[in-house]
Amino acid sequence: MSEVFARVASRAIAAGLGAVMLVACGGGTSGGGGGSSTDVTVWSAWGGQELKAFQNVLKPFEEKEGIKVHLTTVRDANQLAINVDAGTSLPDIAPGPSVDKVKDWIDKGVMKPIETALGDKFNDYIANTYPALTTASGDNLYIAVVGGKHYELMVKTQVKGLIWYNKKVFTAAPPKTFDDLLAIQPPAGAKLFCAGFESGDASGWPASDQIDNIIMRQSGEKVYTDWINGKQKWTSPEIKLGYQTFLKEVSSANVYGGPNTALSTNFGRAGKPLFASTPGCLFLEQATFITNFFKEDYPNLVAGTDFDFFAHPSLNSQYDGNVNGFYDNFAMYNDTPAARKLMQYMATSDAQQIWVNAGGTLGAIKSLNYTDPIFKRAAEVAGTAKNLLVTAGDFMPSDMQHAFWKSLLNVTKNPASLDSELARLDQVQAAAYKTS
Amino acid sequence: MDQIITAVIAIVGVPLVLLGYIIFGEQIIERLPDSLQGWIRPYFWALPAIGFAGIFMVYPLIRTVILSFRNNADTRWVAWDNYVYFFTFPDTLTSLRNSLLWLVFYTFFSVFLGLVIAILLDRVRYESLAKIAIFLPVPISAVAASIIWKFMFDYQAPGSPQTGTLNALVGAFGQQPVPWLVNSATNNPALIFVGIWSITGFCMVIISASLKAISTEVLEAARIDGANEFQIVQLIVTPLLWPTITVVGTTMIVNALKIFDIPYVMTSGAYDTDVIATQMFRQLATSHNARAAAVGVVLFLAIVPLLVVNIRRFQQQEEQR
Amino acid sequence: MSVTTTTRETTGARATVSILERFGYRLQRLPLHLVIAIFVAIWIVPTLGLIINSFRSVSDMSNAGWWTVLFPPHGFSLASYQQVLETENVATSIVNSVLITLPATVIQLAIATMGAYAFAWMKFPGKDLFFIVIVGLMIVPIQMTLIPVLQIFKVTGLAGTFIAVWLAHSGYGLPFEVFLLRNYLGGLPREIFESAEVDGAGHAVRFLRIAVPMTIPAIASLTIFVFLGVWNDLLVSLTFLGSSPNRPFTVVITQLVTSLGGGWQFLTAAAVLQMSLPLAVFIFLQRYFVRGITSGSVKG
Repeated sequence: MSEVFARVASRAIAAGLGAVMLVACGGGTSGGGGGSSTDVTVWSAWGGQELKAFQNVLKPFEEKEGIKVHLTTVRDANQLAINVDAGTSLPDIAPGPSVDKVKDWIDKGVMKPIETALGDKFNDYIANTYPALTTASGDNLYIAVVGGKHYELMVKTQVKGLIWYNKKVFTAAPPKTFDDLLAIQPPAGAKLFCAGFESGDASGWPASDQIDNIIMRQSGEKVYTDWINGKQKWTSPEIKLGYQTFLKEVSSANVYGGPNTALSTNFGRAGKPLFASTPGCLFLEQATFITNFFKEDYPNLVAGTDFDFFAHPSLNSQYDGNVNGFYDNFAMYNDTPAARKLMQYMATSDAQQIWVNAGGTLGAIKSLNYTDPIFKRAAEVAGTAKNLLVTAGDFMPSDMQHAFWKSLLNVTKNPASLDSELARLDQVQAAAYKTS
Repeated sequence: MDQIITAVIAIVGVPLVLLGYIIFGEQIIERLPDSLQGWIRPYFWALPAIGFAGIFMVYPLIRTVILSFRNNADTRWVAWDNYVYFFTFPDTLTSLRNSLLWLVFYTFFSVFLGLVIAILLDRVRYESLAKIAIFLPVPISAVAASIIWKFMFDYQAPGSPQTGTLNALVGAFGQQPVPWLVNSATNNPALIFVGIWSITGFCMVIISASLKAISTEVLEAARIDGANEFQIVQLIVTPLLWPTITVVGTTMIVNALKIFDIPYVMTSGAYDTDVIATQMFRQLATSHNARAAAVGVVLFLAIVPLLVVNIRRFQQQEEQR
Repeated sequence: MSVTTTTRETTGARATVSILERFGYRLQRLPLHLVIAIFVAIWIVPTLGLIINSFRSVSDMSNAGWWTVLFPPHGFSLASYQQVLETENVATSIVNSVLITLPATVIQLAIATMGAYAFAWMKFPGKDLFFIVIVGLMIVPIQMTLIPVLQIFKVTGLAGTFIAVWLAHSGYGLPFEVFLLRNYLGGLPREIFESAEVDGAGHAVRFLRIAVPMTIPAIASLTIFVFLGVWNDLLVSLTFLGSSPNRPFTVVITQLVTSLGGGWQFLTAAAVLQMSLPLAVFIFLQRYFVRGITSGSVKG
């Protein structure tokens, strides 16, 4: 009996050991090694339409260069950070990190200079791209310029804080100042604004865009930048004034369906009442990408004929040159021949034109063709801006940004809580900007 | 493709390896002197289980407690700082309060409804069918349940057609729609209700099994003595079911404290619906490992009394064996 | 004579009374049925609503509730399913869910059965202590262990792999399974093992030829539990596979929710797909399911 067992046992062991070894070797490795010239791994946070557009951008590159692009959608911005901390393998190309990590990663050599990636094409890139995205006097962590070198490649731009309207409903001239805007009388049954702040875990970000555009035009770029850097208190008069002005936009008198609707509506659907047979509101404040969402609900809308935008009205003429924009960027994390080629490709107008043609975005290059009259004008707004200021929350520590978004939701729901919310934000600020 | 192969290898390979481990190991052990055998063999058999539990639960537990007293980068000791943060920041305090709400209401109602439904269904002929209906939410994931109820709670502006079932009903009674997940008065109850909805079937099945074990003679005798149904339930059925109720109850309490999926999916913790587990995850996701550890320890401390109760109950049963 | 007439009279009277009794009894029972009907409605309608919604187009869903499907035009559409399955990562994640669930289930049950046998039928110093620790571990929230385990995976290079979650799920599930199986194994008749021992069967044989076959009912029920638990899991996969291409369906669904550009309407099909497996398992394997629950929690 024991001999039988011994035989069975040894066979089982062999099989088992073999299995274990195969499992250990075969598990979890993905294709593409270091120094590859045939494969490149890319992470992006895009989904849906944006992802399709990116895939269209990549197709000609793959065909022409014969390089395979392995694209993974990674939504959580912290995942890359986790990999960097753990020292595990990084994608070749991925968006740059939040501003608090930029300097650290550059110092550690995690991000490779764009000068290296683009080689001799670098000067063209600088010449062709919107200056606000690439010029800095000294270090600018927002656009990842450190020690005179650039570490992020700008590929797409959005302009935010545009006031969208239904051309067939609002036919007057665009208001010049914010007070003029508030004074407009909407037709019966409609309110001045529509708003939609819901966005899952990121709920509140559209509200933060609205308040960003207020503060940068009301109190200027110095206050705005200090605020992002944690040097301006939330309870300070400028920020408080910003919140109070914001509250006018979401008061039950001014917003469609009252604050509850603003809080419960997903941002993509917020513009629906603009085009309803009985319009629910006159204006929606949003970025350039919202046009795709309009067309999802009403496929027959034509840009320029049915809807249009005007720039955010002035709050303080001194600060009119401040425009809120954001940009999508990529950084190179592994210096491989294939990665360099992809970076160079994405810096060309050919690549960015494909993005632009997909609609819903501006490129980072100045000279692209916009068939959409809306985007043509938006490009002008971006080009003539004195300062293209980033979205504040995106560049605050994530604790702070999250608390910021939440505070906007809370004061929309309950305007009387403004002072206690601001005090809470100061508390968070004190802890969040500490380096520990 | 190679992932499928890996999985198949794991499914087939691991039992094979264990088989080999047992057979081969026993071969060796049997050759040892008897006294040594009796000592080595049990550890040999139990080693994989103990090893896993040790690596994945015991060691991390201790490590987390230690980490809660250090800073996020794990480079120095910060004593009570993380706990101070926990008890002074409004967000974390809110999550504590909400977890307590879950603890009380989720536990009570899931057990109570489980009991009531078990008793009611016992008296009708279509019992099995109805039981299936109530039990249906149990096997589905909390993610799916959250999505189901997100639609039930949907809110459209007053005056527009309501797409959410609850607000449509509310509208049918002539009232304004309610933003269930936004209003402070309704959002926590709504989330807790989803939890109760998901788990009541579980409690019901267990209690029903015990209910059926109650001898009918006792109940008949009581009825003959003139007791009405309510009295019977109160004075006879419930006391007899009490051991089962406590077992189910303790399980529910543990569940309530660990709740994560429902608040995470439905509201992401917004509008003060955060619970301890979501709060901990948020800290973890923003790399505040030490703070997350502190939150975890607080959660653990809340559970320790139940740990003690469970262990004591287990020891009592062992004595009866 | 008089006897016969009285009997017939009383039969007639009793017959009338009993019809009334039965009617009154039924009437009394009406509230009971009503209450039960309400409960059943609360428990079935929401799921039904979601399933119906998943077969409608997005614009229908955002304009009118699911009950409007009952009236023409019914608006049946598979668009949501198409859209969800075409969405990046979704189809892969469904496969991932399967690839995570099956091995994780097999691994933990194999190890648990072995360990339970040792705890049930072998005497060794420290056995009681170990077992008490295991009983205690059943209650420990997983959250307590996430960070160090994550670090272990990083150090060993397993971060983001399937192996990581197989091991993690096994580690987390073992305490409960060992507890349950030990109770079951311990309840097997001692004589069978003793007579086998007398016949010269070693522990391996006793385990494989006697204990395991007799434990199959418990293992079967437990398998269903474990399987569904891993299939439905969110937290473990979110923590260890959050950004890995190996992440399962549940994680992808929540990420669809939180993406900039999501709308809840797209999730109906995803949710229905995700829950169709557990529902199928439940419907076809009800008996094992219920037995599993009741045997686990009701002592004796």
